Amino acid sequence: MILGIETSCDDTCAAVVGEDGRIHSNVIASQGLLHARYGGVVPEIASRHHLELVDAVTADALERAGARLDDVDTVAVTHGPGLIGALLVGLSFAKALAAARGLPLVPVDHLHGHVVASTLGEDPVVAPYLCLVASGGHTFLARVDEPFEYQVLGQTLDDAAGEAFDKGARLLGLGYPGGPEIDRLAREGDPEAFSFPRSAPGELDFSFSGLKTALLYAIRELGEEAHSRAADLAASYQRAIVDALAARTRAAIEREGAVRLAIGGGVAANSELRAAVAELGVPVWVPPVELCTDNAAMIAGAARFLKPLRYPDYLDLDAAARLP
Amino acid sequence: MTLLGLDTSTAASSACVLRADGEAFDVTPPPDRLAGPPRHASELMPAVASAMELAEVRWVDLEAIAVGVGPGTFTGLRIGIATARALATANELPLRRVSSLAALAAGIRENASAGLALPLIDARRGEVFAALYDGPEAVWPPFAAQPEALVTRLREGGFKPLAAGDGSLRFRGMLQEAGIPVEPDGSEAHVVSALHVCRLGLGMPDEPPGAVLPEYLREPDAKPQQ
Ligand SMILES: [Zn+2]
Repeated sequence: MILGIETSCDDTCAAVVGEDGRIHSNVIASQGLLHARYGGVVPEIASRHHLELVDAVTADALERAGARLDDVDTVAVTHGPGLIGALLVGLSFAKALAAARGLPLVPVDHLHGHVVASTLGEDPVVAPYLCLVASGGHTFLARVDEPFEYQVLGQTLDDAAGEAFDKGARLLGLGYPGGPEIDRLAREGDPEAFSFPRSAPGELDFSFSGLKTALLYAIRELGEEAHSRAADLAASYQRAIVDALAARTRAAIEREGAVRLAIGGGVAANSELRAAVAELGVPVWVPPVELCTDNAAMIAGAARFLKPLRYPDYLDLDAAARLP
Repeated sequence: MTLLGLDTSTAASSACVLRADGEAFDVTPPPDRLAGPPRHASELMPAVASAMELAEVRWVDLEAIAVGVGPGTFTGLRIGIATARALATANELPLRRVSSLAALAAGIRENASAGLALPLIDARRGEVFAALYDGPEAVWPPFAAQPEALVTRLREGGFKPLAAGDGSLRFRGMLQEAGIPVEPDGSEAHVVSALHVCRLGLGMPDEPPGAVLPEYLREPDAKPQQ
């Protein structure tokens, strides 16, 4: 069995996954609300909490899997990209755990984890496929010919899609995280009430920063009325984000001749996005929400396709805020 | 008892195995390592592995792991403590927490048998982490201060301790002007030695690995990532 550990942002995660892709446990300790009052993730606070939680979360993942450390054959850990101080907690813990038992270690690219999340579980997607990952930290389209690697076709040039939801929610006076809040409110509104821009930089790239400015202006223009039009604003804003994601995904499917689509990242939980990608003419894999948001099962899952480092080759392994 | 000790409170990563027969195998870098950028992730585990190898000790031979909990560089402390905890958990060993300033003071005492020791760890932002030791006794428990305030506090107390540590190297001029002697630049007393972490660890209680946290002595900066 593979023990996965992930601490690249504000969730402390550990999971146990079988070589067959079966998820034996997938524990996520979210710090989300802790950072909410700062309006974003505070790196030092995130790092401190990872250290407080990493032992307990790992022990919990083993216990829920009904496994002991003796049953672990490989340790997988996120080594980047992410917040460097946060990454280093999980990486140090994973390296020492593997070294003390002479186990092989697999350093995993966090984004690769998102890309292969749909290869886990009962109905795994099989390569080749196209993948859209949209979350609070990343938004990109990737092509997967073999599950051990992925090729980025396009990505956001400024805000991530989840960030656009968060910022929009703040402008509308809604809670954090913004995605679910806007999703809920949008159901009561008219998505065509306001026409927000769908900026289209590059062939398959995304840009969301102009959208949030457009929302700000719309709210200002409405003045007092903005409050009573909140549902329409939320619906139109969400439609603009989803349209941009779906249009790029459609273009990528056509250009690459893709036959399958997988989506991932926290924004994959959005109901309108799910509905929109279902219309793109190829079968779609949407993993359950605990595999969409940051988690360690996807890290252990990616490790199945990668060559492990033998003890002691990983002793000097470092984390990287950005991977080449 | 046989124990492994490690410290990552400064830019240096140090590890040592103190065997039950009293032999010590210390992999603590020289003082010039203090001036370089910290690289605990790439240096600590290799240091641990070489100390184990030199001592010809296997994991099952260890009875406890002692870890320097700072104060010091936050990221470094987390790497050291996360490493110590995982090594302990994987081998079902207890952890023992040791003050990095106490370990530094123990090194100063070796060079100045009598008198007071002033271990200083660079706290960045123009501050030092400091403590004052008379033998093994902490006259002043660890605190963070600007060097000017530290010098005033020493003068008011009438203390003239021997200072060492990367904090004393950074503020050598100011300390010496105030009549506080500082160890020479090349002195090994500037580095938190893992051997002293081991020795102090011998006298500390066992703790469950998950309970050991850094001694930060400073609130986190509440600035979100942008
Ligand atoms: Zn992520």
